[in-house]
Amino acid sequence: MTRFRSIVSRVVALHIVAIGVTSILMPLALYWLLYEAANGLHRDALRAQALTIASFLHPTAGGGGVTLDIPPEAQPIYSGDYALYAYAILDSEGNVLFTSRPDDAPLSAKKDPLTDDSFTRRRSKGASLIGVNVPRAIGDRLYWIQVGQDLAHRDVIIDDIVASFLPRVAWITFPILLLLLLIDILIFRRALDPVRAASDTAASIGPTSTYVRLSEQSMPTEVVPLVHAVNQALDRLEAGFRAQREFTADMAHELRTPLAIMRARVDTMDDQPPRRSLETDIVNMTRTVNQVLDIAELEAFVVDGGSQADLQAVCADAVAFMAPLAVDSDKTIALTGVETPVWVHGHAEALFRAVRNLVENAIRHTPAGGTIEVDVAADGTVRVLDEGPGVPAADRETIFQRFWRRDRARPGSRGLGLAIVTRVAAAHGGAISVEDRPGGGAVFTLRLQPSRPA
Amino acid sequence: MRILVVEDNAELVALLAKGLARSGFSADAVGNAGDAEHSLAAMRYAAIVLDLGLPDQDGLSLLRSIRGRGDSTPVLVLTARDGVSDRVNGLRAGADDYLVKPFAMEELVARLQALLRRPGNLLGRQLTFGNVSLETEGRQVFIDGTVRVFSARETAILEILLRRGGHVVPKRLFEDQLFGLSGDVGSNAVEVYVHRLRKMLADGGATVKIHTVRGVGYLLAEEKAAA
Repeated sequence: MTRFRSIVSRVVALHIVAIGVTSILMPLALYWLLYEAANGLHRDALRAQALTIASFLHPTAGGGGVTLDIPPEAQPIYSGDYALYAYAILDSEGNVLFTSRPDDAPLSAKKDPLTDDSFTRRRSKGASLIGVNVPRAIGDRLYWIQVGQDLAHRDVIIDDIVASFLPRVAWITFPILLLLLLIDILIFRRALDPVRAASDTAASIGPTSTYVRLSEQSMPTEVVPLVHAVNQALDRLEAGFRAQREFTADMAHELRTPLAIMRARVDTMDDQPPRRSLETDIVNMTRTVNQVLDIAELEAFVVDGGSQADLQAVCADAVAFMAPLAVDSDKTIALTGVETPVWVHGHAEALFRAVRNLVENAIRHTPAGGTIEVDVAADGTVRVLDEGPGVPAADRETIFQRFWRRDRARPGSRGLGLAIVTRVAAAHGGAISVEDRPGGGAVFTLRLQPSRPA
Repeated sequence: MRILVVEDNAELVALLAKGLARSGFSADAVGNAGDAEHSLAAMRYAAIVLDLGLPDQDGLSLLRSIRGRGDSTPVLVLTARDGVSDRVNGLRAGADDYLVKPFAMEELVARLQALLRRPGNLLGRQLTFGNVSLETEGRQVFIDGTVRVFSARETAILEILLRRGGHVVPKRLFEDQLFGLSGDVGSNAVEVYVHRLRKMLADGGATVKIHTVRGVGYLLAEEKAAA
């Protein structure tokens, strides 16, 4: 049954086989039953006829014999062109005493009619004959009365009914069975509706909706264990996601509180040379902690299917956010390209962090006096252009991996920023790449999926 | 000026109180939401510095109950949580500003001052950044203590920049505030005023400079000591 994956198709396939077998066997069985019933009725009628003939038998006055005295009004039934019945009266030795037949032969060719109460049929001039043997004691002797009927006679209709029954029954049986098949398919489809509904529910479950469970109500009993097991698996997954979120939150608290104390302590120190260097150390440490926390959160981050963000606004925010840092290091920053909203499929805050990290990276690699340009295109693409040394072709893949950095000796150069960008791009079904900028520098291109405005 | 600091870390709260005192604030420190409610019932504070991670109650619930009874005291929220999904939660519950730990003491002071300078708040009458200050009621501009004459439009632009000193102000904000909804603004009207203002600041010997962030807006930043 591996060829039929759906329950409905299995049912249909088996049902068609069953219909084939039933539509042959059922008419045959019905035909046989009807035939038997018709024969029984026929014989009863013949027996009644035999008793009528028996009533015409009278013992001879001298004893030892019988005479058959058929009233004239009954004669046409037994002889002539319209004779319905043939009869023969035999003595206990099987000798024919009277008969309607011209050849004086018994109706039944059986040697010993005594043992057969109802003989059945025989061939006679191409026609079937059905008949009965009825014993009758007259005086002290036993006689056998045989009554038969030619089935080819035009007034005998019982066998015609039986004969015409088979094709009719076949033609009625087949549509009824097909109708039954259709009804069964409908029943099955309705029975599987809860399963279909559960599939739709399951399809909507994601990391942002781990609380959703499949309904066990109205589910067919056979499927309930599966649904139950799936729900239990979802419970475990939800617990996992919750643990991940709690871990990130705990780590944020555990790492940032001591840094906050350290920073506050340094800030309230008197202005001495070590204070400035400590501040720088704390700023660098803080950035790394923030990036590690971002990475930890983004590992489990999935963008909600329907959410969208204005990429132009996100880039404006990121540029505004980073501008003080750029200005502080004597660099110019500009936002160019489209000035109207650019709607993309995505989470605004996550995209903000990606663009912010790209800008931060660009500021770090652009020499003082240089310009960083963030260019937004209507197709959901952001390009961040710097005036740094560019990225050698050999490094263009590794640069997006964690903790990669070109110059490990250079202070303040961390590789986590681009890993965050990569993760955000992946979560959005987007892509990040880097090329040389014509005239020097690098161009980082973040491609996102455009969407319609909300 | 009295500030209520709600923070459960004893060490941090002591350092914050010390740092705030240096900038002319006096800080009352409490370690949980219950004590904060008592202090707020007993006394009126200029502003509240509220940590979100409190032992007895979530800081956000405390913030909601403060706002719920119509108390509009400026609230600066501190948090160690800065997840992708966390950022706006504090502001939605009615916080006026949001600072992620760790933060520079001068940033905390600057944010507090910015909150207190908002129209209607205590510090609203004088705005200062670097050696430039503005009397918001008398509309007088001082550079290094000397009064300078600015036109009304230039003063208005300077006010917007001073209120958000060190941060980028979107160009749209200038257009909205200067010209309202009349819409009768030449596309470079703001640029012309900013250009003139920039020159006047430089001529007056200001230690602050207006930087253009093309495509976004303007940034009033302090010039580094060397410049």
